[in-house]
Amino acid sequence: MKGRNNSDKSSRRKFLRKLGTGIGVVSLTGVPGASVIAGSKTESGEKIKLLSPEGRLVEVDRENIRPARETTDYIKEEARKGLHGRKFVMVIDLAKCRNARKCVEACQEGHMLPKDHEWIKLYLLQDDRNTAPYWLPRPCFHCDKPMCVSVCPVGATYKRDDGIVLVDNQRCIGCKFCMTGCPYSARVFNWKDPEVNLPPGQAYDPETNIPPVEGTVGKCVFCADKLRRRELPRCVTACPMGVIYFGDLLEDSITNGEETVRFSKIMDERAGYRYREELGTLPSVYYLPPFQRLFPFERGLEDVDEETRLRYRDAGPR
Amino acid sequence: MSEYLRKILYLISFTAVGVTISSAQDRPSISPYFQLQYFKNTKDQAYLQTTLTYSLNRIELPLPGMVISFYTGEKRDLPLGTVMTDEDGIAKLPLDGKVRLPFGADGQWTFNSVFDGNDTIDQVAADISVVNMDLEITLSKVDSIKKIELKASSQINGKKVPVIGEVVIIYVTRMFSLLPVGEITFDDNGTGTIDFPSDLPGDENGNITILAKIEENPTYGNIEKRVTERWGLPTSYTVPETHRALWTKTPPMWMIITLSILLSGVWGHYIFAIISLILIRTDAKRKKVNDEYKIKV
Amino acid sequence: MQADRKLLYDLTPELTRTSTRWYITFFIFFAFFAFGIYALILQIDKGHIVTGMRDNVVWGFYIVNFIFFMGLSYSGALISGVLHLFHTAWRKPVIRLAELITVISLVIGPFFIFFCIGRLDRLYFLFIYPRIQSPITWDVIAISTDLVGCFIYLYLSFVEDFAILRDFDELNVAPWKKKLYRILSLGYSGTPRQRKLLSNARTIMSAMIIAIAIIVYSVLAWIFGVTLQPGWHSTIFGPYFVIAAVFSGTGLLIILMWIFRKIYHLEEYITKRHFVNVGVLLTIIAAFYGYFTFSDYLTKWYGSIKMDSILIDKLFNQYYSLFIFANYIGILLPGIIIAIPKFRTIPNITIAAIIALLALWVNRYIIVIPTLETPFLPVQDPRPDWIKYTPTWVEWALTMAGVSIFAMLFMLVSKIAPVISISEMQGKDQSEIMK
Repeated sequence: MKGRNNSDKSSRRKFLRKLGTGIGVVSLTGVPGASVIAGSKTESGEKIKLLSPEGRLVEVDRENIRPARETTDYIKEEARKGLHGRKFVMVIDLAKCRNARKCVEACQEGHMLPKDHEWIKLYLLQDDRNTAPYWLPRPCFHCDKPMCVSVCPVGATYKRDDGIVLVDNQRCIGCKFCMTGCPYSARVFNWKDPEVNLPPGQAYDPETNIPPVEGTVGKCVFCADKLRRRELPRCVTACPMGVIYFGDLLEDSITNGEETVRFSKIMDERAGYRYREELGTLPSVYYLPPFQRLFPFERGLEDVDEETRLRYRDAGPR
Repeated sequence: MSEYLRKILYLISFTAVGVTISSAQDRPSISPYFQLQYFKNTKDQAYLQTTLTYSLNRIELPLPGMVISFYTGEKRDLPLGTVMTDEDGIAKLPLDGKVRLPFGADGQWTFNSVFDGNDTIDQVAADISVVNMDLEITLSKVDSIKKIELKASSQINGKKVPVIGEVVIIYVTRMFSLLPVGEITFDDNGTGTIDFPSDLPGDENGNITILAKIEENPTYGNIEKRVTERWGLPTSYTVPETHRALWTKTPPMWMIITLSILLSGVWGHYIFAIISLILIRTDAKRKKVNDEYKIKV
Repeated sequence: MQADRKLLYDLTPELTRTSTRWYITFFIFFAFFAFGIYALILQIDKGHIVTGMRDNVVWGFYIVNFIFFMGLSYSGALISGVLHLFHTAWRKPVIRLAELITVISLVIGPFFIFFCIGRLDRLYFLFIYPRIQSPITWDVIAISTDLVGCFIYLYLSFVEDFAILRDFDELNVAPWKKKLYRILSLGYSGTPRQRKLLSNARTIMSAMIIAIAIIVYSVLAWIFGVTLQPGWHSTIFGPYFVIAAVFSGTGLLIILMWIFRKIYHLEEYITKRHFVNVGVLLTIIAAFYGYFTFSDYLTKWYGSIKMDSILIDKLFNQYYSLFIFANYIGILLPGIIIAIPKFRTIPNITIAAIIALLALWVNRYIIVIPTLETPFLPVQDPRPDWIKYTPTWVEWALTMAGVSIFAMLFMLVSKIAPVISISEMQGKDQSEIMK
């Protein structure tokens, strides 16, 4: 998977990933809008090549193909349900982070975000004069008691059964109440036309929030589209230090792409915690304290450009 | 043997080191990376796999649609077949017993794969030798302690020989990756045992897939055995307060009740006021009729 | 229906003639309004990037104006509602003004929410996909209920006046106005039964609009109160906002009393006594309002949870002058002016009201903006406008447009019905009311 040019493929795959749940495969080779019914009895013997949800070319009998409901409505309906029997969780090891910003870049590229939209943000924090400064990557926390979802007047943002909180930007009216509701500043607003060039007829998918819409809210989606393909979120795979772990809480297992560990064990051994537990939002993102850090925090200010350095000019004890 | 040394050995002997034969013309050509690996899956089906990639601006990209030829034998002259690389640059050749594989002096098989190259891509070749290992996995439960036992042997010159000292990692399958739960080093009998953790979650029924895996071993290649057993804790995920909460679709009951009471109370009074206005109007009409009547009389 | 001739001669001239000055003033306001419309079109075309709002301060002038205008609507609830229930006689000349403030500000207020909404084209989603867990939905329900209630209440107080105007033969107005009076008066002729119906309806509605007004403003406060943001997450916000709203409503009432008294020559009807009475009311409310303000900031400062102390630190440094103006000068000065009998002149009371009104607007500003500039995670951004909110001309223009449309609507309504209720004034002991 590494380094492959994914840009056109990912957009294509968005249509295609529903095979695992039963329906919805779209053709790559001239059978637009077709899908496969698993286990159909009759066969014509005539095979047609289709792209599977995993992105592989498969042969399917013509009889088993019927037009897919690959409309935006269908995608949105699936995106509201979430993945059955999963509860996603992220663990961020603050001891390893050195503000390399690869997570930000991968996220922006993968979600076609403009440069000034950061769904995952890097903060330089210092709790007090006498405590150590540290880097804190902050994605959306996908809280179990999400304030943003509670306050949404139209149900544009919602919590799925697998724990992911998404935004339907075709429903969002842009009241920004969720942005004031979120205590973690995790949401961004499309203040102007995002000017994203997309192939015409591209269906909207809340799992990527592509295409973005002016006057609506966007935020980290835990790469829900990749999870559907059993792939790790973009920030996890992009991180050169392996800072970000991701997994299914129910399986008690998290991985950063290199090593796989038990969630309960690492929480126990590394004294994992959640940011501002007292707020009672029950985040799905946990942090491991920056104990015996791999890099001095100053490293994070060395390899970045001037503009990035500028944003931390006022950082310090609060 | 340390992990580090193993890796070095692997790099030297096992992995395909791309042998580049430079072309006669002096024009830019791609010199690809070429890797040949031996796999034996849980059903004891063996196959060879090559990966053909090249590097562009430090990014590794696959070379799909290329024809790879496989050979075996001491002199690498016995053709096994040709396979085209897929979109990930991978070509797989099943060793399904159609060709009798000749053993070497130490009971090993030797394989060779060649990509002939074309106008723009250089020719590359790689070879490996593998000793066939038979791996057995047995699960047992003694006094509620779950035990995994492995037994490994190989055939050398027609004799069954135990595999000694090799390390096998035991995993369980998880959504994104394999979670290691233990390590077995084969003893002199070619066996090894570990206890399986009792607190690992499985699926809804407690089923869990256990995997014994030898990876990139310089002698034996890649071998895996998987077995599914009800050894996990059954998981069931019910979203807390799914149906009525602040953040769900359906609001809490008290909200609906309070809102209904407030609204019906207020709008009831509004209706009273509006009815009063209507009555004023009808009263006026009646008065008008009365007045007209009086005038007539 | 017949009415006191003198009352009619005094109060109706503004219905029949319109001065050039009226037209000029109206045109000036209209120009401001039109400029606001231009700004709005620009904002819709270019996106909210033309405002000073950014990802941290997502609510700016618009929300401040929204709360402010909604607060003004309290004058009606207080003056005509509360005073109606207590049968206070002196309220009668100012009751109409108060009710007009209520309805007009209630109509304008929600528009500022619309300006703040990113996708106005989806506004109807609020009705087709409502979630009653959201305070915004509570607001939609409460404001629309309040609006309907206040319209009914206003209309109830107009019925008798329309009947009087309908039957006033000497009233020289355009035929369409006559026709309007005829239709709107519902054939009211003051029969005992009609009197009773109207009086009952008014009593019930006056109680209703008080209750609704309290709910509406509490709900508005809860939009802030239910969030976890430092400075907003406060149990006192509901009553605090209600009292602040009454404060501003009363202040505006005094200002409008002064304006209409001057321009429409109502010196005989709106006397110093009214100014003093409403002024004293303003002082009492200011005391309550000051008490709530103090109580809110004291607990935050004393308990000093980290985020609260960061916020208070910001208020006393970055927002020092605004904070002092809003919470010291704006509360104490009106109180002092009105409390000392020597200072109680009509211009002084009006000035006190202007100060109170401005201070209250600033108070709303320093409730909304500094909190948004102080999120739990510090704002770390290279762009200055992402760190500090500065309103742009677009927001100023739309604010001015709001004030202008308020004035314009008032001017228009004053040409259709007298700003002093004729029916309320007549048949009463004049000396009791005018004293």
